Amino acid sequence: MKKYIISFISLVLFSATMAQNKEIAPEDLNGMRAIGSPANPKVRMSWDRYHDYAQITKFCNDLAKAYPNLVSVSSIGKSFEGRDIWALTITDTKTGKEKEKPAFYIDGGIHANELQGVEVSMYTAWYLAESFQTIPFINRLLKDKVFYILPTISPDSREHFIYKPNNSNTSRSGMRPFDNDGDGLVNEDLLDDLDGDGNIVMMRRKSKTGRWKIDPKYPSRMIMLRGDEMGDYEMLGYEGIDNDGDGLVNEDGEGTYDPNRDWAWNWQPDYVQRGALFYPGTLPETRAVKDFVVNHPNIAGAQSYHNYGGMFLRGPGAAEDEGLFSREDVAAYDVIGKLGERMIPGYNYFVLYKDLYTVYGGEIDFLCLTRGIFTFSNELMTSYKLFNQKAATGRWDNDEFNEFDKYLLFGDGYVEWKPFKHPQFGDIEIGGPKKNYIRNHPGFMLQEDAHRNMAFTLYHAYQTPKLEIVAIKTEKLSGDITAVTATIMNTRVIPTHSTFDVKNKIERPNAITLKGANVIAGMTVENEDLNLFTEQQFQPASIQVPTIRGMGNVKVRWLVKGNPNGATVEVNSAKGGVVTSKVSN
Amino acid sequence: MKLKLTLLVLLSVFLTHAQNDYLTYDNLTKKLKEIESKNSSVNLKSIGKSSGNKDIWLVTLSASKTPKPALLITAGIDGKHQAGTQIAVNLIEQLLQNKQLYSDKTIYIIPSVSPDAISSFFAKVKVEHSGNATPTDDDRDGKIGEDPFEDLNNDGWITQMRIESIDGTHIVSSEDSRLLVKANASKNQIGKYKLLSEGIDNDKDGKFNEDSSAGVNIDKNFTFDYPAFENGAGVYVASEPEVRALLDFLYTTPSIYGVVTFGLSNNLSEAPKFDSKLASTRIVKGWLENDIKAAEQVSKLYTEKAGIKDGPKTPMTKGNFAQTAYYHAGKFSFSTPGWWIPKEVVKKDSTETKVELPKKGEKEEVSPELQFLKWADKEQLKNVFVEWTAVKHPDFPNQKVEVGGIVPYAMLNPPVSYLEPVVAKHAVFIESLLAAMPKIETTPPLVEKVQNDLFRVTVTVANKGLLPTYASIGDKVRFTSRMKTELKLNKGQTMISGRKIALRDALQADESETHTWLVSGSGKITILTGCATAGVKELIVELK
Repeated sequence: MKKYIISFISLVLFSATMAQNKEIAPEDLNGMRAIGSPANPKVRMSWDRYHDYAQITKFCNDLAKAYPNLVSVSSIGKSFEGRDIWALTITDTKTGKEKEKPAFYIDGGIHANELQGVEVSMYTAWYLAESFQTIPFINRLLKDKVFYILPTISPDSREHFIYKPNNSNTSRSGMRPFDNDGDGLVNEDLLDDLDGDGNIVMMRRKSKTGRWKIDPKYPSRMIMLRGDEMGDYEMLGYEGIDNDGDGLVNEDGEGTYDPNRDWAWNWQPDYVQRGALFYPGTLPETRAVKDFVVNHPNIAGAQSYHNYGGMFLRGPGAAEDEGLFSREDVAAYDVIGKLGERMIPGYNYFVLYKDLYTVYGGEIDFLCLTRGIFTFSNELMTSYKLFNQKAATGRWDNDEFNEFDKYLLFGDGYVEWKPFKHPQFGDIEIGGPKKNYIRNHPGFMLQEDAHRNMAFTLYHAYQTPKLEIVAIKTEKLSGDITAVTATIMNTRVIPTHSTFDVKNKIERPNAITLKGANVIAGMTVENEDLNLFTEQQFQPASIQVPTIRGMGNVKVRWLVKGNPNGATVEVNSAKGGVVTSKVSN
Repeated sequence: MKLKLTLLVLLSVFLTHAQNDYLTYDNLTKKLKEIESKNSSVNLKSIGKSSGNKDIWLVTLSASKTPKPALLITAGIDGKHQAGTQIAVNLIEQLLQNKQLYSDKTIYIIPSVSPDAISSFFAKVKVEHSGNATPTDDDRDGKIGEDPFEDLNNDGWITQMRIESIDGTHIVSSEDSRLLVKANASKNQIGKYKLLSEGIDNDKDGKFNEDSSAGVNIDKNFTFDYPAFENGAGVYVASEPEVRALLDFLYTTPSIYGVVTFGLSNNLSEAPKFDSKLASTRIVKGWLENDIKAAEQVSKLYTEKAGIKDGPKTPMTKGNFAQTAYYHAGKFSFSTPGWWIPKEVVKKDSTETKVELPKKGEKEEVSPELQFLKWADKEQLKNVFVEWTAVKHPDFPNQKVEVGGIVPYAMLNPPVSYLEPVVAKHAVFIESLLAAMPKIETTPPLVEKVQNDLFRVTVTVANKGLLPTYASIGDKVRFTSRMKTELKLNKGQTMISGRKIALRDALQADESETHTWLVSGSGKITILTGCATAGVKELIVELK
C-alpha cells in the first residue's frame, strides 16, 4: 500500500511538473540548453555589449510585458535632465504580498562611467525572470523574496559617457553644472576631443627633458623613467586645451561631483570628502533613491554595483564608524563575503575604509547605518581576469593590459598615437586607452562576470531573514487557562535587525501576535528549561521582539482563556516578512 | 469687588490680545506683502515650500537688481522660538528706514524658515513644539502619533502633571513653591512627586505622551554635527524640504557674506574661542584663527556699538543652521536669541553668594524657570504660569494628580511689547555690521612703457574694511566665490607675463596685494578685482 501511495504522489508531482513545463521553451528541455542559461529567452538580449538609456528603458518594459506575473516597472523619480529612474519589482506575485516579503535592493551605475554595473543589474533581472520556471532555486527565491532592481541611478551621465567624448574616468558624476574652481564661472574649461573620435586620450610631446619613453614591446604604452635613464617624451595630461586662457587645462569640466558622496550618513563637505555637494540629497537622483528605500522598509539586503578592482565591499566608509558594526553583524557579512571570494576568483572581501579608502556620505553607509540594511558594493572587473592571475607589479609598472590588448583584443583597446597640432602645446601626439578599456569589461568577459556577481548577490539575497514558525505548543494550566508557546526561527544568517538598528530603533521591532484567542498575558521566553520569562504587560497578544538573530530563534508564550485551537500566530517583521501558522491541539 | 473683576477681565483681554500680536502665518504673509507693496526696494519671494506646503518667504532689501555683497538674516528655525520671527519682521521695517543700508549692500531676511511651526504656536491646545508638519514616529516604534498630549484641565495649554507617588523623584522648590526640583539625597531631600508632561497614557504602554508626532525640528536637521536618530532630528540628515530650501538658497547665492540668525544659540555676546586642535583636524570643528578675529570684532559691535548686554550663554546645538552655515557653507555665522530675561532681576541674593562661594565646576546656576518666574512676577505678567490644581486621572485612579507649570512658549516668547527695544538695538547692530564689511579699494593702475609696444601694468588691491573679504573657512569649502583678480585684454594684445586670472585666499582686514602684468600691444585693458562677498571693482586703463 505504501508503495502505491508513493507512486501516486510521484505521479501527481510529475504531472504538476509537466503542467509547468508548458511555460518552458523546448530548447531548455533538450541539449541546446547550456547549463545555467536560458536557451530561448522571451526577452532576447546580448550580454557582450553595453546598453544606452533607450535600450535600458525598452528592456525594462519588455521584461515586464513578457513576465506580467513576475516583473513590474515603475519610475522612482526623474534625473536632473528629466529621465525616469526605472525600478523593476521582481517577485512571484501569486505567492504572498510584495510588501510582506523580505526585499533585496540592487542598483547600478551611480558612477556612470562604470558601465557594467548597469549590465549586471539588468542581467540579474533578466535571469530571475527567465529562470523562474526552469530553476527551482530561483522559483523558491521569487516566492520568498522581492527584488527591487534599479539598473541605472545616474541615467544622464550614462548617456553622456556613451555618446560624448570621455576617458575611462569621466563622467563619474551627474550632469548638473557647478563651478569647480571657485572662479565664478561654470564649466568654462571642459575636456576637448581634439581628434573627434569620442575618446579622450592622453597628450604627449617629444622633449629633450622628458621623463618618459615609449615601451619597445607595446608602443601603446608609455614608460615613466626612474634613475638616470634619459627619456624623450613629456606627458601633457588628458586631451584638452586651455579654453579660457587661465593657464590651466581642463580645470572646470562637466560634473566634477560625486553622486556617491551625496548620502545621508556621516556626510562631510567637499574639503573633507571630495565630490560632496551642498548637503546629502542635493541631487534629485540620490533623493529619489533615498525616498524609495525609506518607503520600502522590507529591504533587508542591498547591493550597489561599481567598478573597478574586484571587491566585495562592506561598510563602514569611515574609521570612526567601525564600532557601529557589532561582531555578530560582521559574522553575517563574513559568511557572504568569504563565499564570494570562492565564487569569483580574483575578487576580495574588503572593508571599505580599511582596505580601499575613506568615503564620507557614501551610499552603502546610508543603506547599512541610516537604514540598517545589510549591504555590499561590488567593484566589478579586475586585472586578475586578464590572465587569471594576480599582477606581479602595480598598475603603472605592468604591461598586462597592453599584452592582453595585443593578443586577445587585437589592438582594439587603444587609440594609436598620432600627431596633432595643439594651439597651446604645438606639435604633440595623442593616443592611449579608449574610454571603454581598463575599467569596463571587454565584451566576451562581460556575461561571465555578470553571472558570477549575480550569483554572489543572489546568495546575499538568499541570506536575508527567513522566519519560520517551527513549533507551537499548547499546555493546559489551571482552570481554563492554556499556555501557547511559539518558537520562531530565522533560518538565514542575516538578522531581522542589526545590532546598530536595535540600539537606535531604526526599524520597528518584530511583532509576534496571537490572533483569534482571548489572551490574558504575554511574555518572551528567555529560558524555557529554567522558567525565565519576561512579561509584556502592554498589548500582551502582540509580543515585541527587537531582533531575531541570524540562525537564531525566539520563543514567546501567551496565556489564553479558553481553547486557543484555531487561533493564528502571526510573525510580522519589517525586514523578515510576514508568516502565519494556526494553533492546533 | 465688581470693579476689580471687570478690571481683571479687561486686563486678561488685553493680555490675550497682546499675545495675539505675534503673527499667524497668514498675517505674516499679509504683512510681508504689505511691506513689499509699499517699498520699491523690497522684493518678496518664496524659496520653497515647507513640509506642510507653506511658502518660506524671503524678503530682499536692495536698491537695485544687481547682486551686491549681502547679509542673510534668518529666524523661526526652531519652532518654539517665534520671538525670532517677530523680531525679524519688525527689523525689516526698521532697516527700511535707512536707505543707505541697502544701496551698496543687499539684505536678505527669511523671517520664518519653518512656517509650519507657527500653527502649533497658535493651536487651540498649545504644546511647545519645535517641529514642522512632517509626520514623525517620535518613539520609533513603527506607529505614528499613537500617544499625544491631552489638556486635562482644559486651559488650552499642555503643561505638567505632578503625582504624589512612592516613585516620585521631585520636591517643591524651596526658592519658589510653584516649581519642582529634583530631590537630592545628599541634601537630606527625599522625592515626593513624579513629574510628567500633561496627558494620559493613550496606548497603556506605561509611557506618557511619548509620541505626539511632533514633526522634525528643522534646527536639528542640518548637516553639521547632525544628531542621527535623536527625537525630532528627522529620519536622516537634510531630509526636510525647509532645510534643503534654505541651503540651496545659501549655496547658490555667493554674494552672501554672513548670516545672522535669531535662534536659540548665542555666539554674539561672546565670540567663539580659538581652539587650535578643533580648528586643525581633518574635519574642522572649531572656528579658524582668522575668523575668530573677525568674530571678536563683530561681538564688539554687538555688545558695545549696539549696547546689547548680558546675553545668555546658550551654546550651539547639534545639527543646527547657525553652525552649518559656518562649517559647511563657509559663511560667517552669528546667532542670538534676540530677547532674553534681563539679568538684573535674577541675580542671586547677594548675601547668599558671599557666604557660599561656589567651588570650581559646581557653580549653582539659577534655573531658567526660576529666572523666568521672578522676572514675570516683577513685570506682573499674566498667563505664564498655571497653578497646580488637582485633576482626576484615569491612569492614577487612587493618587493625587495635579496639573500646572509654566505655560508653553512663555519662556522664550515674551509679549510683543518687550521685543520693540530689542528690534531697535539689533537694527543698530545690523547697521554696524554692514558698515564693517569689506571694502575693496585699488591704486590707480601704474602703466610703464617697457619698450615700444610692451607695457608693465601694476595695481595694488586692498581690503579697507574692518572685516575680511569673507570667512577663511570659505577658502576651505568648495562653493564660495574666491578672491579673484582678472586681466581682460583686447584684440591684438597678448600677455607676456602674469596670470590672466589669479585666485587667492580671503583678503583680511587692511590686507593688500600687488599684481603685475607684462602686456604686449597697446589699447584698452580691463582689470576686475574682488569677490562676490566684497564686491568687484572694475578698472579700465589705456596702454599707450
